Amino acid sequence: MDSESHQSSEEINELIREVAHHDRAAFARLYKATAPKLLGTVLRILRERSWAEDVIQDVYIKVWQKADQFDESKASPIAWMVAIARHSAIDELRKHPARRSADTDEIDQIASTQPEAHTALENSQAVTSLNRCIDTLEKDRQDMVRLAYLNGWSREQLAAQYDQPINTVKTWLHRALKQLKRCLAP
Amino acid sequence: MTDHNDLDTLAAEFVLGTLPPDERDYVAARRSQDAELEALILAWEEHLLPLNGDVAPVEPDPSLFRRIEQRLDAMQLQPGAAANKATVTALHQRVRRWQWSTAVASAAALVLVAVLAFQPAQEPQSFVAVFQHDDQQPAFMLTVDLDNRELNIRPVTAEPVQGKSYQLWIKADELGPDPRSVGVLTADMDIDESALRQYNPDLLKEATFGISVEPEGGSPTGKPTGPAIHGFLYPTKEGVSGQPL
Repeated sequence: MDSESHQSSEEINELIREVAHHDRAAFARLYKATAPKLLGTVLRILRERSWAEDVIQDVYIKVWQKADQFDESKASPIAWMVAIARHSAIDELRKHPARRSADTDEIDQIASTQPEAHTALENSQAVTSLNRCIDTLEKDRQDMVRLAYLNGWSREQLAAQYDQPINTVKTWLHRALKQLKRCLAP
Repeated sequence: MTDHNDLDTLAAEFVLGTLPPDERDYVAARRSQDAELEALILAWEEHLLPLNGDVAPVEPDPSLFRRIEQRLDAMQLQPGAAANKATVTALHQRVRRWQWSTAVASAAALVLVAVLAFQPAQEPQSFVAVFQHDDQQPAFMLTVDLDNRELNIRPVTAEPVQGKSYQLWIKADELGPDPRSVGVLTADMDIDESALRQYNPDLLKEATFGISVEPEGGSPTGKPTGPAIHGFLYPTKEGVSGQPL
């Protein structure tokens, strides 16, 4: 973990506010504080460095253009930035599915991991409660949610992996998401 | 409650990333018009964000930021072009699959996604799309009965234009990149109710519809040539097409 990642949510908020006023220095600091996390996120989905870096370029152009639309009363800054990165990567992947290399390690990797707070950007309390809720799901469904969220797997890929019809996968995902929501409800 | 749950599930799967591309595009286009959907999406982004804690940071190549800065420099050197591009991009997202050659540049005021307040019924078989000129008034309403594949269009505020015709278009991924003509509205603003019969119900549910203003008798090129207004089909209760507005 590098020292640049130790930025609080409030500091990131402030940087986004400055970027909204087209402050290039603030943009550089925002990039430094968040790019490693976003590149990790996009790379996990696309699995190819140059492809992921192209997407990261688009992501930061969007951040620059949309900073004035970010509403800190409605979203945390890191959720906002991760969402831009993940959706950009998944949109790319759906457009060019053949470009992504399959990796048999993905399942093992997913099966062996528990989310943890890698950087100060992540709220460890939220990580703990999501972990607790994910743990209430059946093992297959835990893995499916992670493969979809982290690795960008489509319903079709999940269906092939778990040898189920696509509609069954869809139903499982819906149930898993509803269960998570109930569990996370305050 | 069921409606809210369905919308919440749609938002959740959008955030998870597993929606089929069509539905994904649809949600991406609709969220900017639908505050409830937008709020549900943001809530799910927060709910699932801790999963991302599992992603280890990867240090980017130092040249990457330089390339981003070069793109920003290029955008700032051409502020007009950048602003135009931003506008076009925003419009493009709104109109989603419609790629009118002229409409995007000239008809900003005309183009608006329809957002409806109809409550979806269980297994709805009737769908409605509203075509709006602006935030105020619907221009046309289109209802489609999927059982009989009958359509019914009625002008709400739209008026006949001397020497021009309104033309209805359908666009769906299965039909290729260009909108396909459904038909030209008659002088009394009607259309053959069986004009959609060649399309299957699943396609109709996914399709986008557009109405453009064309030379009298319809587009001479087979593609929309005039400014377009468009709408998605939304499920509605049975029998809406038979009710007064």
